[in-house]
Amino acid sequence: MSATGGKWVGQAVPRTEDPALLVSRGGFIDDISLPGMAHAAYLRSPHAHARIVSIDTQKALAHPGVYAVVTGEDVARWTRPQKGRVPLHFSPKVYALAFEKVRFVGEPVVAVAAVDRATAEDAVDLIEVEYEPLPAIVNPEQAMKPGAPTVFEELENNTLWHGTFPYGDVEGAFANADRVIEERITIHRYLSTPLETFGVIAQHDPATDTLTIWGHTQQPAQDRHALAASLGIPPSQIRLIVPPMGGAFGNKVRPLFLIILALLARAAGRPVKWIEDRRENLLALGHSADGIMDVSAAVKSDGTILGMKFRNIENEGAGIDFAGRHNLLMLSNIVNCYRVPAVSYDGYSVVTNCCPVVANRGIGKPFMCFSVERMVDIIASELHLDRLEVRRRNFIQPEEFPYDTPSGQTYDSGDYPELLRKALDLIGYEDFRGEQAEARKKGRLLGFGVAVGVEPGGSNLSYGMLISGPTQLLSGQGEAARIRMETDGTATVYTGSLEAGQGHATSLAQIVADELGLRVNQVRVPTTFDTASHPSVLTSGVYSNKFNGHDTAAAIGAAKKVREKLLQRAASQLEANVQDLELKDGTITVRGTPDKALTVAQVATRAYWSLADPQPDGEPGLEAVYYYSNPRARKPDEKNRVRVQLGFASAAHVALVEVDPETFEIKLKRYGVVHDCGRQINPAIVEGQVHGAAAHGIAAALLEEFVYDEGGQLLTTSFMDYLKPTAADLPTIEGDHLETPSPFTPLGTKGIGEGGAVIAPAAIAGAVEDALAPLGIRITGLPITPTRLWEVVSSKGKRYGSKKG
Amino acid sequence: MKPAPFTYFAPRTLDDALSLLEEHNGEAKVLAGGQSLVPLMNFRLMRPGYLVDINGLKELSQLKVAGGRLALGALTRQVEVERSAEVARSLPILTEAIALVAHPAIRNRGTVGGSLVHADPSAEIPVVATALEAELELKSKKGGRSVKLEDFYLGYLTTDIAPDELLLGFSLALPPAGAGWSFSEYARRHGDFAIVAVAALLAFDKAGKTNYARVALGGVGPAPTRSPEAEELLMGKEPSDALFRQAAKAGAGAIDPENDIHASASYRRQLAEVYVRRALEVARGRIRRASSNG
Amino acid sequence: MADKASIALTVNGKEYRAEVEPRLSLVDFLRHGLGLTGTHVGCEHGVCGACTVLLNGETVRSCLLFAVQADGMKVQTIESLATAQGLHPLQRAFHENHGLQCGFCTPGMILAALELLRRNPSPTEEEIRACISGNLCMCTGYVNIVRSVQAAAKSGAVGGDRQP
Repeated sequence: MSATGGKWVGQAVPRTEDPALLVSRGGFIDDISLPGMAHAAYLRSPHAHARIVSIDTQKALAHPGVYAVVTGEDVARWTRPQKGRVPLHFSPKVYALAFEKVRFVGEPVVAVAAVDRATAEDAVDLIEVEYEPLPAIVNPEQAMKPGAPTVFEELENNTLWHGTFPYGDVEGAFANADRVIEERITIHRYLSTPLETFGVIAQHDPATDTLTIWGHTQQPAQDRHALAASLGIPPSQIRLIVPPMGGAFGNKVRPLFLIILALLARAAGRPVKWIEDRRENLLALGHSADGIMDVSAAVKSDGTILGMKFRNIENEGAGIDFAGRHNLLMLSNIVNCYRVPAVSYDGYSVVTNCCPVVANRGIGKPFMCFSVERMVDIIASELHLDRLEVRRRNFIQPEEFPYDTPSGQTYDSGDYPELLRKALDLIGYEDFRGEQAEARKKGRLLGFGVAVGVEPGGSNLSYGMLISGPTQLLSGQGEAARIRMETDGTATVYTGSLEAGQGHATSLAQIVADELGLRVNQVRVPTTFDTASHPSVLTSGVYSNKFNGHDTAAAIGAAKKVREKLLQRAASQLEANVQDLELKDGTITVRGTPDKALTVAQVATRAYWSLADPQPDGEPGLEAVYYYSNPRARKPDEKNRVRVQLGFASAAHVALVEVDPETFEIKLKRYGVVHDCGRQINPAIVEGQVHGAAAHGIAAALLEEFVYDEGGQLLTTSFMDYLKPTAADLPTIEGDHLETPSPFTPLGTKGIGEGGAVIAPAAIAGAVEDALAPLGIRITGLPITPTRLWEVVSSKGKRYGSKKG
Repeated sequence: MKPAPFTYFAPRTLDDALSLLEEHNGEAKVLAGGQSLVPLMNFRLMRPGYLVDINGLKELSQLKVAGGRLALGALTRQVEVERSAEVARSLPILTEAIALVAHPAIRNRGTVGGSLVHADPSAEIPVVATALEAELELKSKKGGRSVKLEDFYLGYLTTDIAPDELLLGFSLALPPAGAGWSFSEYARRHGDFAIVAVAALLAFDKAGKTNYARVALGGVGPAPTRSPEAEELLMGKEPSDALFRQAAKAGAGAIDPENDIHASASYRRQLAEVYVRRALEVARGRIRRASSNG
Repeated sequence: MADKASIALTVNGKEYRAEVEPRLSLVDFLRHGLGLTGTHVGCEHGVCGACTVLLNGETVRSCLLFAVQADGMKVQTIESLATAQGLHPLQRAFHENHGLQCGFCTPGMILAALELLRRNPSPTEEEIRACISGNLCMCTGYVNIVRSVQAAAKSGAVGGDRQP
């Protein structure tokens, strides 16, 4: 019985990860303790921009209980400069600690290892740093202008990267338009903030100059290489162990901390642990990029979109690590669900004295979806058309899949009209319209918002070649898996995937159980990744929804190999033909001869024990490794078309809000999601991801915001000011789904997980705008807060968002 | 985020506590519920060299209605007040306000006295205390004194309490029988400090004219404040919708709030006006309901 | 460095004696002093609820208490819920209703729910949401957490038991 007809895939199997987590043996990084372990703390920059004149660590070093103090000068001596993930054509001298300059408030300047965290912080207080403050710049558009303070001396106009990608006949589209509609749309800085903060433990063995690192990462192979390259040692001298993470959401890719801890461990002569605290997390781990999008849409008067132009400025903060990433990832959903034949993207990646960006859930795609969906509503408004009609008119239709978008994405499958129809049905749209009309007569402001979006998943890392050229080494997407059948008839699965709450272990167990005819609880998937035992490729890890289609394919590939070996051995032992064998519930039988049977355990036992037996597949044991590479992950073509993402789930989000006409408080009354991620491995896990992602998007639209003052000081540095949603702030997220299987993945699944984070902000904005329709206010920026709505209303403004550039 | 080192005392008697405060004059902080103090210490925004833990002083935890006032010991836990049937009966506005203080785990440890002394202008208990003419009992080795709350709050997070003084308790003036009440606030999320909070109480005479009006606002200045402008407009008149609009407008016009990242000054004024008006409407509604039952 | 203080307290029914620095938080003492790593640290300023434990039967933020303050008290952590017989009904409800994803908020969430159901065995959805609003979850959007608490309430297996 093969996986496609299997009995576990498709079931809402209760998760195998749960028991350990529920009895609190979750094994998170801070649960790990090593003998003699020291604890680290940082002195962090109080300035947004300053030259470091001097650092005096004498008193800190002399403080009882302090084992080591490391400064940027030490790091510059001991390591090679950092390189960005997407190699740039310029290389500023940036190290894991601030070197010569500080470029954002919170930047780590000095690292201390001491007997405990409190003592390390006491020692930090004793360090004297002299700074020469420099003017700071926080607005990316201002940062691009001549005369703006330069964040990196090598970088003129603070522009890390600028690229222009025209696709299709853009000029023709605009020439043929009945109307050209323009708008400036903005997004703010926010962050998913996993409840568990970042953590690292480093242990150095001086005898062999090897490092063992327990630490957070979402790309273990890449981070291991970054660490190796930085320290000038081979990756094989680094063992990287990644415990299950208490959430990640793209935030936990920070190899600089692996580097610092490795250096501290070496300097201290003992293992060192660092657990980030919440203040450090909000201040300096990383933010999602804020950005500006100037959009022009060429439309016909019936609402057909002929072409769109995007000019986008992304604020990278003071980091080079993610240069251009937000920009390039936006190419994956640049036409969203619509048949737009011509589109151009003019993107800037700009540095400022804000916190460096990190790949927060959706990375770039939330802003692009927000921009496109806002434009669709604005087009409808300008043309006096119904915004549902404009969507329907422009939707890519179900029969058009697989559909190639102008930027080179191949949308695998979908049914956007049906998503919308079901979403309207779910939320009771027709009834709402009546309710809204009645409410308006009484002065109440009810609003309905809708956003339909593709949810691109599975990054093709070749997209970086759009910046660094065809010689970039990193390309494609894939994953590795090793499956070992144990002598007791259970299977253990090791992949380059990681656990951060998405239930990967359960999902993989379901898939492998189907493939090997086992029960789910007979498939063990360790939730700790270890380079010593897990295979990996450089694209390994947990990010961009790559699990569905890559990790799954790797696991299936390895399982098929094991299955084949298993059946060959069984055939040999049962003296039957492989084709006549049936594998079910841990037993192998011969069709038609019920007395001829073997258990999987029996076959597996002989495979390892009885080496003198004939070895039908040439080798003893029952184990296989499979490396999967997605054949559709190609390099950019000469027209800069590239499949930035490889799979396209989709969803329609609908929101009902009520806005208080006097205080502009926004009450989210109902929220619904109709999603399509193709075949679902575990519907409960999928539903959980839908809820969680929607919550992130809703909170980003209404609550969460990092606020900098003009001097680059972050004003939101605790959970009292940076507002996460609580259970009392969100409604129950209602849901329905479709399944249009992907023709390209082994199970027909598509990546789910970023989804709602990409689409929800647009639905919320649409709902608030609809509620405020009697006041005629257009929403073009986020977040939407009552105090700012009040400012717009009380000044009789018509636009909520930044002014047009 | 670990606090700076400190020496810790857990005195068993009030006298011992006061001696410690005197001895370490200015260097010691009182630890009661800790829900406001400990975060500040964890952030190292406060670094007291000495911590005097008064949680052992059980005599400071009491709740009593007498002589037209509700007397609360400083150490009375917020949860105790929240669940008290006596408070619900004699001062339901306090029950309503306490339910909005943070979350259950905070209220289990937080004390009413601690909230009052911490003096956050957006906190719920100080607003109610302001509306109800709270009188505080302070004590030091030098002796005891009574202070009215309006004289106690000097500025943002600043009170008249001396470094060697302890708040023993305070009392709130109960409104007349049958008075209506409302405590409401605008906060960004459930359980947050209020952006603007309003406590309003009303009572009428037999002719239906207001003979008792208390309006207090939080979040609109460095300390919670009564609104004499609103109260004076209300007194002696029938509590009509139009009068409430006027009173709310007058109250909002008299405040001078700050801008911050959560709300502009202009928005706070708008919130004050709207919430005062709505609070008065609710308070009036509660009187009418009570009298229609009586 | 300040002198250490002697404390004696009961944790999950077992008595402990220790010498602790006054500034050592209760959560750090539980996690690193006693090896009870089920209680988590999420913010150290009392907002997220990951550090929730029961102190003399009531939920408290163990990041806002010093270990010295727990001298003579009874502390109950998440580790006390499951027994050799199996998961506590609340834990089982979370498992059956997919009420956890990364699991980091779960211990605090379960103790908050336990306190609620002991006082109010049949809470409304609004009451559940208000009660757990002091516990942040970044993964689930709270939908399945509410469902888990509702399932536990419906099972009638929680609530009314005031045993530590």
